[in-house]
Amino acid sequence: MEQARSSWVIYLSLSCALIFMLLPFPLEWRIFRPDIATLTLFYWVLALPHRVGVTTAFFLGLGQDLIEGSPLGLSSLGLMVSVLVLLANYQRIRQFDGFQQSLMILVLLMLCSGSEQWLRNGIEMPGLPWLGLVGLLCSMGCWLIVREILRSLRRYYEVN
Amino acid sequence: MALAVVSLSLLFFFREHPRVVGIQQSAIDAVAITTGVVLAPLEAWDRMVAAMDSRRDLQEEVLRLQQENRVLKGQSQRLAALLSENARYKALLRSAQLIDDELIAAQITAVSPDPARHIVVIDKGVLDGVREGQPMLGEEGLMGQVILSGERNSRAVLITDSAHALPVQVNRSGLRAIAEGSGMIDRLLIRHLPAKADIRVGDLLVTSGLGGRFPNGYPVARVIEVVISEGEAFALVTAEPISALDRGRYVLVLQRTVGSGAES
Repeated sequence: MEQARSSWVIYLSLSCALIFMLLPFPLEWRIFRPDIATLTLFYWVLALPHRVGVTTAFFLGLGQDLIEGSPLGLSSLGLMVSVLVLLANYQRIRQFDGFQQSLMILVLLMLCSGSEQWLRNGIEMPGLPWLGLVGLLCSMGCWLIVREILRSLRRYYEVN
Repeated sequence: MALAVVSLSLLFFFREHPRVVGIQQSAIDAVAITTGVVLAPLEAWDRMVAAMDSRRDLQEEVLRLQQENRVLKGQSQRLAALLSENARYKALLRSAQLIDDELIAAQITAVSPDPARHIVVIDKGVLDGVREGQPMLGEEGLMGQVILSGERNSRAVLITDSAHALPVQVNRSGLRAIAEGSGMIDRLLIRHLPAKADIRVGDLLVTSGLGGRFPNGYPVARVIEVVISEGEAFALVTAEPISALDRGRYVLVLQRTVGSGAES
């Protein structure tokens, strides 16, 4: 029974992060939109690796695809791969200070969008432009903010 | 592992599966409703600001619109005469069918968050007669086409999307070409024209009607650059879409109904 405690906080925060994708952004600036949904997922994996893992990543990816209108499964695989890496190294990454952790998150984001790029080539969909790397930097910049917000949420609602 | 297989097979084998497409169709509506709810406070604020516009401004606006409307009505009278004349000619030529275009007015409600694509969501769907493959027009020219329609909302791809290409014709010379999206919102590319082709800066490109998806004669873009480099077999032509694809909310979806008037 204890396993199910306050898990709604996790799912609510993930849904809110998805809703962030719906907010209007000028067409040419979309590339700089931080990927809050992925960051939220990374936080929960890092904080509660026994609760949030590859399955959550899969469904979050499906949600992203449905919102973007891209073929189903496109975002899932990248998220799953990077969550797998995160699960293997979470104890080490937890020890890092903020800057190191941000760099690690950047690597994971690159892994995630790299696999997505590979899949896009596979199904002959236009790939992300090089400027997309700047978007990843924007996401990296948001990591510490997302981490602080979610950490306080986790402590307040005692999610474990 | 199993999930990875699921997502890969979804991508590579079941992309066109009716059930998968069905899920995507209902997602269009669900996402549109959620967006509406999320943005409701912003919309309300906009409306409040609009309501505070002074009465005089509104009166001026109404006068201006009335005048514009009168001019347009006059022009459309001439158009009606031309259309019937055209129909008579087509009948004389024993053309098989007369194609009538009907327009559905729609509004762009959202832009897809995927930065690699130029995809928008419009607020009309199957229930309003919007179907996959129908062309979408802006105020001045062609904007794109519908790619997936839900019940009350649809998704449309713009002509500048880098996966989109459409058959065009140079209005001045009748030269046919394929205009490809460049991934930039204000550029179209024509790559495979011979270096000696009759195309100049300033030429208007209109839809050619080849392929049968877009009816012919709708303005698409204006040529802004023709690069002919020594030793290259093809000229590289750049064009700018006529309608401002990243501005304006109101679009028209072209619904084609095939009349039989020309048969007689």
